[in-house]
Formats: sequence, structure tokens, C-alpha cells
Amino acid sequence: MTTVADAPTQTPVRPPVILRRPKETTGVWSWFTTVDHKKIGIMYGVTALVFFCLGGIEALLIRLQLAGPNGTVLTASQYNQIFTMHGTTMVFLLGMPLSIAFANYFVPLMIGARDVAFPRLNAFGYWMFVTGGVFLYSSFLLGGAPNGGWFGYTPLTSTPLGLGALPGRGPDFWAVGIVMLGIGSTTAAINVIVTTLNMRAPGMTLMRMPVFVWMMLVTAFLTLFAMPIITVALIMVFFDRNFGTSFFLPAKGGDPLLYQNLFWLFGHPEVYILILPGMGIVSEILPVFSRKPLFGYPVVVFSGIAIGFLGWGVWAHHMFTTGLGPVAVSAFSLSTMLIAIPTGVKIFNWLATVYKGSVRLTTAMLFALGFIAQFTIGGLSGVSLAVVPADTQQHDSYFVVSHFHYVLFGGLVFGLFGGLYYWFPKVFGRMLDEKLGKWNFWLMVIGFNLTFFPMMLLGIYGMPRRVYRYDAGLGWGSLNLVATIGSFIIAVSVLLFIINAVVSRKRGVIAGNDPWDGRTIEWSTSSPPPEYNFAEIPEIQARDDLWHTKYTEDDDGVLVPLPSGGVDTPAATRAAAAPTHRIHMPSPSFYPLVAALGILPLAYAAVFHSYSWAFLLVAGGAIILAFGIYAWAIEPATAAEADH
Amino acid sequence: MATIEQAPPPQVPAGPSHGPGPDHPPTSTGTTNVKLAIWLFLASDCLFFGAFISAYLLYRGRAQTGPTPAKVYSIPFTSVSSFVLLMSSLTMVLALAAIQRGDLRRLRIWLLSTALLGSVFVGGQIFEFTEFSRKGLGLSTNLFSSTFFVLTGFHGAHVTIGIIWLLSLWALATQGRLTQKDAEKVEIAALYWHFVDVVWIVIFTLVYLIPTK
Amino acid sequence: MSDITLRDDSGATEVAGQTATALEPSAGLLPGELRPHPSPLRYVLIAVVLCVITAAEVSLYYLEGSLADAVIIPLLLVFAALKFGIVASWYMHLRTDKPIFARFFVLGIAGAILLFGIVLSSLQIFS
Repeated sequence: MTTVADAPTQTPVRPPVILRRPKETTGVWSWFTTVDHKKIGIMYGVTALVFFCLGGIEALLIRLQLAGPNGTVLTASQYNQIFTMHGTTMVFLLGMPLSIAFANYFVPLMIGARDVAFPRLNAFGYWMFVTGGVFLYSSFLLGGAPNGGWFGYTPLTSTPLGLGALPGRGPDFWAVGIVMLGIGSTTAAINVIVTTLNMRAPGMTLMRMPVFVWMMLVTAFLTLFAMPIITVALIMVFFDRNFGTSFFLPAKGGDPLLYQNLFWLFGHPEVYILILPGMGIVSEILPVFSRKPLFGYPVVVFSGIAIGFLGWGVWAHHMFTTGLGPVAVSAFSLSTMLIAIPTGVKIFNWLATVYKGSVRLTTAMLFALGFIAQFTIGGLSGVSLAVVPADTQQHDSYFVVSHFHYVLFGGLVFGLFGGLYYWFPKVFGRMLDEKLGKWNFWLMVIGFNLTFFPMMLLGIYGMPRRVYRYDAGLGWGSLNLVATIGSFIIAVSVLLFIINAVVSRKRGVIAGNDPWDGRTIEWSTSSPPPEYNFAEIPEIQARDDLWHTKYTEDDDGVLVPLPSGGVDTPAATRAAAAPTHRIHMPSPSFYPLVAALGILPLAYAAVFHSYSWAFLLVAGGAIILAFGIYAWAIEPATAAEADH
Repeated sequence: MATIEQAPPPQVPAGPSHGPGPDHPPTSTGTTNVKLAIWLFLASDCLFFGAFISAYLLYRGRAQTGPTPAKVYSIPFTSVSSFVLLMSSLTMVLALAAIQRGDLRRLRIWLLSTALLGSVFVGGQIFEFTEFSRKGLGLSTNLFSSTFFVLTGFHGAHVTIGIIWLLSLWALATQGRLTQKDAEKVEIAALYWHFVDVVWIVIFTLVYLIPTK
Repeated sequence: MSDITLRDDSGATEVAGQTATALEPSAGLLPGELRPHPSPLRYVLIAVVLCVITAAEVSLYYLEGSLADAVIIPLLLVFAALKFGIVASWYMHLRTDKPIFARFFVLGIAGAILLFGIVLSSLQIFS
């Protein structure tokens, strides 16, 4: 598929028309057939936020259950499904796709490209994400959702149904669903890498790229190499459950530790897949609202790359209590502490960026600052977990839950919300309301810390993870109640964001091209950008190129606006003006959607393979998939009719 | 505010010294998008096979019930099928050389030969699998058989996808829709094909030739 | 419609993604190549070399028992690496292509060997 994907076809022979070539650029069909990176970016974002709400509702159910001793909201079996789906949703259906949403929309705009390298593959990746998410959630109706945790430890998840392990088909749905999502994120990763390496505007050298683009590049490499490993592990789990193998079943000689190694070999890079985009977004926001360039740009970039490499050398710190032996434990403890160094370097760079800047405390900036504070707490609790004796005490306790929520919620989600406030004006042409935004931010900070700080204490007091109820005599009730109250405050703040987005989308203040006095070139084109992004591809002269068209320094190093700076410069005017020549954009296509829809029946067939009707799903899915791929291959990237 | 911004450095064009070719839009690295993409995919696939091979190595000779590897392997047979796959790499590069010269007749011949050699390899694998199960070694017999079947099975699936890909190119070529300027399409399929071949080189050594304890 | 209609139809055409400066075409080479491919004859000679190595590998298998494992296993690994390298550099043209492709591939291979090597040794397979 990769071959044919998007090479311009020069065949003079007219390809056979099976489905008409879609032409709509507005209306419902345009969303199903679009290959425009900006539309796909919006779809990624909206879908991820829908899953965020679902994952959030699951979190609230968990918190209601645990609000007091001996909770009765959920049964044990329901609780297992809910906490598994909460983790799976937040990692695979919120964190990764919302980062990809920003990458989709802004990587081409920030490097001066008209689209991504493979527009149809991009659409396919999105549809794999949607079908994978729908597939996972359909399990609630089809015999029970995944219930073995988002990490799916064996032999719990891999014991066959008949042998009395986890009830329902949850682990099957989980294994197949994550393989589907893996296909989607791998295609997205290839797209980001090729786009970044190959489609930069003239003058956009690697070391002039915005840090967000850099971080997405590193993230994409991590995704590319992490996904095949989890795929293999999930295939083995699926075979163990369904086909009588015993890869991870100790009763027949299998080794559950192999699973843990494979899972965390994926799982720890995955943590950086989640956090690096957040770091990238923060690195864009802080300089703009401090009116200073990012302090130590090359160091921030190299720290990001260093995290990308070191992120592969720490996986076994999730397994300190499995008896790895003193050598492995010491080595992984050291490497885990080591990775705190590039992370700490970044934190100091961000602080130095804000230091003595002309700080504007917009909502985006508040979220970025919140990121720094809370991510630091998360990072420090991580370093304390790297200390093996402490880890042995705190392993599988609420301390760990608190730690990774400080990193992934306090870090990633705050970064993503900062990105939403920062870039919403570019995407929709209107500003998000700042007053509601500040309510959103402060409620989220308060709610977040009320929820997750008590968990740190609970962990130290010995409350284990994944328990669905606890006794009154243990004395955990009041802290749990505080956490539950906090979680509802978070829910209110997210609700405020949704209201803000829906209202501002229609009635917000018109943003203009450059509402924040931005530094990077996405602010030089109109808001929202035209389909072709830039009428004329910009020639990049410097890092923070747009800034240099607006400001210069006098002899004392004081900022001086250029007389006809910013969007009024000739170059910027040209970039934002209507194009003076023909620009061929890739045409919409049905086939990425068709191909993804072909995989869906195959996925159901895998789960329900023991039923006699499963072969119908296989046949149907295979036909749809083959049709989608072949029609896609034959169809030119840009429709012939588009040549008028 | 002492330092605000370093002076913009002199303009360095990001453009490469030469482009990806006359029929392709210029790119920053001077290579086409699709060739970068296939190499990225192959790099990713290394981890995929690496994980399966590791599982095989880990479970070698463990929890041995049923027939041992030495009992079921037929090294002469597997050597021949490895040889066939190796030779398909030769016919593959000859197909690429043919389309680069514009020799479309030989292109069709070599594409078809490559697909044929690949099919012989897959056929051999199916024969081997049935032989194994005749000797009492099924997928779930023991850890050795599970890892063996899953590893070589997924490799065989890769070969099968390659065969379909090659036959599709061959069909395009017979319709005159694959000509000299489409050489890169053959190159991309060839890279995938050779990758599947080198993976087999590793599997042949690690799984078949290295003596089992 | 994805085609943008414009004020000036002077014929200058731009394809989406065309972002770098204009580049001179490279005569006779496929995209991303620095030097031309080997001739078909050379390809056949390489195949002969591959066959010879394969024959050596299979004969080593039959020497198992008469030669120590400590000799056979390293030899087999060297032969496999040799074949791998020859196919990758000649048939996959990494010798004559831009180094970026080889870098990606080496990243994947080295990553796999290193990571899974650590996993296997932590599971005490080598002891």
C-alpha cells in the first residue's frame, strides 16, 4: 500500500471509475472523504475529545465507587472494565490522537508545506483510529469490555476463557483493538517523519524548525519503533487465549516476564510518545507570551532527542519487583535517574524563557505554566520511584497512580489544553473566550491537585491500585472523598471548555492572522488557513521567521517594531494573498475510509472466530479491504478533472 | 532584557544538491516521500520480527514435550526453499534493471518469475507445516512449536503479501500501465521483497541451522 | 473541488508539497540515488556469492557434532550477517543510495538487536 499511496500518477490511461471521485469540500461527505491535513486534524481533535469525555466519565465512576469505604456504585467486574477502559482510552484514544491532531494541523503549517507527505494515508490513519475506538467501545455491548488493565498483564489476560480466567471477551477486544490503533498510529508516524524531513519550505533547515515540529518528529520515531513490539505481544496474548498456545502461561513453560518486557519495551517509550508533544506545545507557547525567544533552543531540541533515545533504556523500572536481579535493577535504576537530566534541562530552559520576559498571562500561557509546575512534581515523584527500595514499597500503590497522573494529566493534558487555547484562533478564526478560559484553567488546577495529591498520600499509607473497595477501618475514606470531589471539579472545568469551544466557534472575537503576536510562520497565513496553506511558499530566513519580519533590535538590544512589520511585509502579504498561479491540491477520496472499514469486520472475525458465521465477516472484510487498497492504488492522488 | 534574539544567520537553503528526479517535485532531502516511507516501514518491521525471533530463542528447548526440532526439521528441504527465496531476490533486481532500461518484456518475465519463486517458497512452507503436524507437532503442542509456527507463519504472510504486490505490478505491466518512468514503483516493491528475504536469512540460521541443546 | 481557481492562469503549475527550491534532474538515477545500480551481470555474480555462502552454511550444519558448537555458532552467525549485508547493500542498493535510508535501517536493526539482547539476557537465556 505504501508504494502506491501518493506518488503522482503519470499514467495516460484513464483509471477505471468504480466509485465516483468525491469533490465535496463542504458538507457531511467532505468530512468522510477529505485528505486535507487541516480537516483531518480537526477530526482527530474532536474525536479525541469525545473519547476524552468517555474516559472522563469512566474516571468519575471510579471516583464515585472509591469516594467512601465499601463503595457500591460498581460491582467488581464492572470496576475492572471501567478502570481498564479508562486507561486504554486516555492513552490510545485521547493522548496519542490529540497529539496527532496538533501534528496534523500544524506540522505542515509550521514548516511551510501545503499538506502532509501522504494525504490519503493520513486519512486512513484517522479512520483506523475511529474504527479502532468504536471497536474497543463496542465490546461493552458484545460480552464485556476489556478488564485486565491497560497493561494487560499475563497470565491474567492470556489464560483461555475455558480455564476460568477473566470473564467475557474483554482481553480479545483489547488485543485486537490496540493492534488496529497501532496500524493507525504507525501510518501517522511515517507521515509525520516524511513530511518533516522532506517537505520543508526553502530555508527551513532542521535547526530552524519550531520545537513542536522537532518533538513530533521524535515522537513519531518512538511510535514507529514501539508499535511493532506491542503488536507482537498482543498477537501472542491473542493466540494464548484462543489457539491453545502457551507463550505466557507458566503452567506450560511460558514466561509472563517476556510479556512484561515486551509490553514495557513499548510502554515506556509510549510514555514519551505522550509527553513529548506536550513539551513541544509548551515550548511554542512560552516564548510567544514572554516576548522572548526560547532560551537555549538547540539544548531543548537535543534534550528532546536525548529523551527519545534514553526512553528506550528504562523500561524495566516497571518491573523492579519481579526479581530481575541486582545488576539489571541497578542499571535500570541509574538509567531512569539519568533521563531526569534532559527533562530537568528542559524545565530550566522554560523557566529561563519566562524569566524577565514581558509575560502576558493568557489562558494558553497559564496552562503552559501549569504544565511546568505539575510536570515537575510528576517528574520528581518519578525520580523517587527510580530509587529501588522506595519503589519496592510504593509499587502498585496509589503513589504510582498519583505519579503518572501528575505527568500525564498535569503534564500532557495541561499542555494539550494550552495548545487548544493557543491555536484555536488559527483553526477556527475566532478567539476562545479568555474569561471562561481562566475559569477553566483555575478549576482544572484546583480539581487536579485535589484529586491527585491525596493519592500520593494514600499510596504512602498503603492503598493499593486497582482495588474496587476498601474497608472503613483502613482510614483512607477522607482522602478518597477529597479526591472524588476534585475529580468532579475537573469535570466542571472540562465542561466549561466544551461550552467555550462551542460558543466561541460561532460568536468568538474574530482572531485575524496573528492574534498573539506570534513567532512561527503558521501565524502569517489567514485564520483559518486556506486549503493550500500559503499562496506562496515562504522563504525562511531565520528561526522564529515571522518574528524577524516584525521586529528588530536597536544597538542596546531593545525590541523595535519594523515600520511595515508583520503581516504587512511584502513577503507576508504575498503568503496570505490569493494565489497568483494554479495550486494542485490532492483530491478527496473514498478509499482510505473504505480500506479502514474493511479492517473492522476482520477485527470482529478475529474475536468471534469460533462462530460459524465468522467466515462471512472474513470474506466481507477481505473483499472491502482489497477493493479499498486496489482502488486507492489505481486512483491518482489528484483527480484528472481537477485540472480545469 | 539583554539578549532578545540572535541575528538571523545568513540564508542557507534547505534544498539538496540534487532532486529526486525529473518527474518528481523537489523535496528537502532529494529523495521521494514514498522511498523514505518504505524504509521507515522496514526499519519498524525489524522490531516486529525481532520480537518474534526473541520469543523463539527464549523458548528454545524449554518445556519439551512432543517431537523435538531435530526430529521434525528437514534441513535439505528447507535449504532448497531458502535457496529459492534467495534466487527470487536475484530475479527481483533483474526486473528492476529491466524497467530502468525500459525493457518491458523482461520486466514482465522477471516480475512473474519472482512471484513464482515466492509462491514455491510459500508452497514449501505449507508442505513443511503439514509435515510437522503429521509428525504430531501442532501450533499448541509445545513452546517450540508455538514460537516456530507464529514466527515462520508471519514471515510467510509477509511473503504472500509480496507475491500479491508483485502480481499486481505484473498485471499493470501487461496492460502497459507500468513503464520506464514507473521504475520507482518496482523499486519500492523490490525493497519490501528483499527485506522479506533478509529476514528469512536470519530465520534460516537462527531457527534451523544453529544446533538445539 | 480541490483545485483552487485563481486569478492568473499563466500556466505555472505547482503541486502540493512542492516546497524546496528547483533542483536539477539527475540523469538515469532513481530518486535518492547517488550512483547508478550495478549491471545485471554484477547482480548474477552477487547471487553466485550468496549461493556459495549458503552452501557453506548448510555444510556447517552437517559438521555439527564433529566441530565444537563454539566454532559453528559464531561461523553461522557471521555467514548470516554476511548474506544480510550483501543483499542489503547490493540488492537493496544501500551502497549507492543516499545514506539516510541506511541510517533508518541500521536504527531498526541495531535497536532490535540491542533491546531484545538486553531482554533475553535479563531472562538469563545466555547463562
